[in-house]
Amino acid sequence: MVKKKRLRLIAEMARKIRAYRELKSRPRESQKYALDYETMRRPHTGKMLPVLAWQDVRRESRLFSLLAGMRMFGVGRLFTRKSWLEEHTEPSYWQITKVKVDYTSENMDHGKAWGVLTYKGKQESEVKEVDKAVYHDWRLVPKHMEQQFTDFEPLPEPPVRYVPYPPLLRAMLLAQQKKTTGSIVTKEPSLPLQRDVLLNKDYFRKLEQERQRTEGTLV
Amino acid sequence: MAYESDLELGDQVYHHETARRWLLSAAYTDSKLWEAREKDPQNLAVLANTMDRTYDRNLPVSSLTVSRFVDNISSREEVDQAEYYLYKFRHSPNCWYLRDWTIHSWIRQCLKYGAREKALHTLKNKVQYGIFPDDFTFNLLIDSYIKDGDFKSSCSVVEEVMLQEAFDLPSTQILSLYALGSYLATRPQLTVAEERGLGASLLLCGLKQDNTVGLSAQLLGNALLGKVEMLKGIHAVFKGMPLFWGRGYLGRALAVMEKAACCEVKLSKDTLDYMNDLLQELSSTSDSDSGEESGGDEDKKENAVDEDDQAEQAKLPQYASRFKELSSQLESQGKVDSASFQALVTVLAQQNLAAVEKPDLEQYNSRIQAWESEKRQLIQREKEMREKAEQEKQERLAAKAAAQQA
Repeated sequence: MVKKKRLRLIAEMARKIRAYRELKSRPRESQKYALDYETMRRPHTGKMLPVLAWQDVRRESRLFSLLAGMRMFGVGRLFTRKSWLEEHTEPSYWQITKVKVDYTSENMDHGKAWGVLTYKGKQESEVKEVDKAVYHDWRLVPKHMEQQFTDFEPLPEPPVRYVPYPPLLRAMLLAQQKKTTGSIVTKEPSLPLQRDVLLNKDYFRKLEQERQRTEGTLV
Repeated sequence: MAYESDLELGDQVYHHETARRWLLSAAYTDSKLWEAREKDPQNLAVLANTMDRTYDRNLPVSSLTVSRFVDNISSREEVDQAEYYLYKFRHSPNCWYLRDWTIHSWIRQCLKYGAREKALHTLKNKVQYGIFPDDFTFNLLIDSYIKDGDFKSSCSVVEEVMLQEAFDLPSTQILSLYALGSYLATRPQLTVAEERGLGASLLLCGLKQDNTVGLSAQLLGNALLGKVEMLKGIHAVFKGMPLFWGRGYLGRALAVMEKAACCEVKLSKDTLDYMNDLLQELSSTSDSDSGEESGGDEDKKENAVDEDDQAEQAKLPQYASRFKELSSQLESQGKVDSASFQALVTVLAQQNLAAVEKPDLEQYNSRIQAWESEKRQLIQREKEMREKAEQEKQERLAAKAAAQQA
């Protein structure tokens, strides 16, 4: 037997006003990602950057430091990351399609960018937000090098290997086949050593959405 | 001016008359077409007031207001005011929408009212002012500096063109090569940063041309960049510039010489001499450096210099010997053109400039038409929005009056 909850309208209003004020005064990109190059600290949080990144921070530039000095903020140009250049021989680059600059920054140095990624020579189909644009890692691909940079002959993929199933699972599969078809004449079930689905955040989110759509509501 | 020296006396008068024709013709730099657009007279003080109020209220200023302000500049002081408003517009949410015609008219107005240094200043700080001129505007600016013989400033404009990688039109290429050649002919003392800029502009411009001038420019550019690479390391070369990050610029310079050796093209003599001097200078500095290095506090500097850069520096004697081989090969093949780089560029300009100006002018005409129609559209849209706002205001007032009466 719970007592009836008191209607606290003023508290409700105060909560809404506080949320609105927080939304209005949230730190801009330029404030959040500002960096003191002498002490390698971010003034916003006071945290220091990891030591292995210091040399890169001193030598390379952020994506928007490059975009600020370009016509139309570099829409349609290709940008690579130094870490990709070092790790992979296949070309990986972002082609920028849309830019949203933080106009409160001094040198138009911060913001968000969207584009099409080509990772290790394979181009993706949709426009995504450029990941890790604040890292001091980016390099512009000059126009006269674009052709040479993006020319890529992919090696033919090695054929998919097949491996026999573990014995218990194999027995279960054969038993199920016998139940459904009633014969044991089928060939040996084999497991392909290839992952058709990349198990990342997007995949699981899509799975959840699918399940919600098919299940509908609980009642 | 350097070109007077390699002409005979008899030709001097002739060349004085035709000197102006070597660079952009009067038709190109004429502002009659630009002035012939329909005028939109606005009071600058009123516009300034509106803009200030809009900024105070944190609302976005439309690009049309800024373009009107720049179009109606009529004196030198107003040029300064316009610069301030361009700065403010760049730091507002609408910075993307700064129109091409606004930038073009800004440069034209600066040239008209003698504020060329201001135009150069805004161009250099393009991050803060958002000035990204198109090819025609760049041509006008470079030409005005060349005509006054100010080759250093024209070279800075060419550097800006290089940073935008805007060497698409052949007229731009010819003008920039002329400016660079004239500047180098005066044999200035260059700092490392200036060398880097000149080298990059020479390289990018030379890549577009497939003749003697182009290859010589590529050679010089690669040589200068190689010098900077040897002295300061590869990161100092490509940071902030649209250049390739691979090491070995001197190696690429030698590759240009090899290309000249096997193809039909010649290289000009003074570029080869320049590269020779450069290599000798570098070898002598590296020798003196290795002689002096003994103290303990040199260790810190060595850690700062990358291993790969050190490997590059070690290749210097190899480069020098290969250069001697290749230059002797080129001379024996007769591929060395004895005319100076600047003379070659002037010849090229004489031959081609008139021809390439025509399509530029036509494109400029069509572009002006497009800009005019866009401007009319913007004005129309602004009028409609103002009428709609008026209407809504009237309705609100009517509703309030009705509520008050009731």
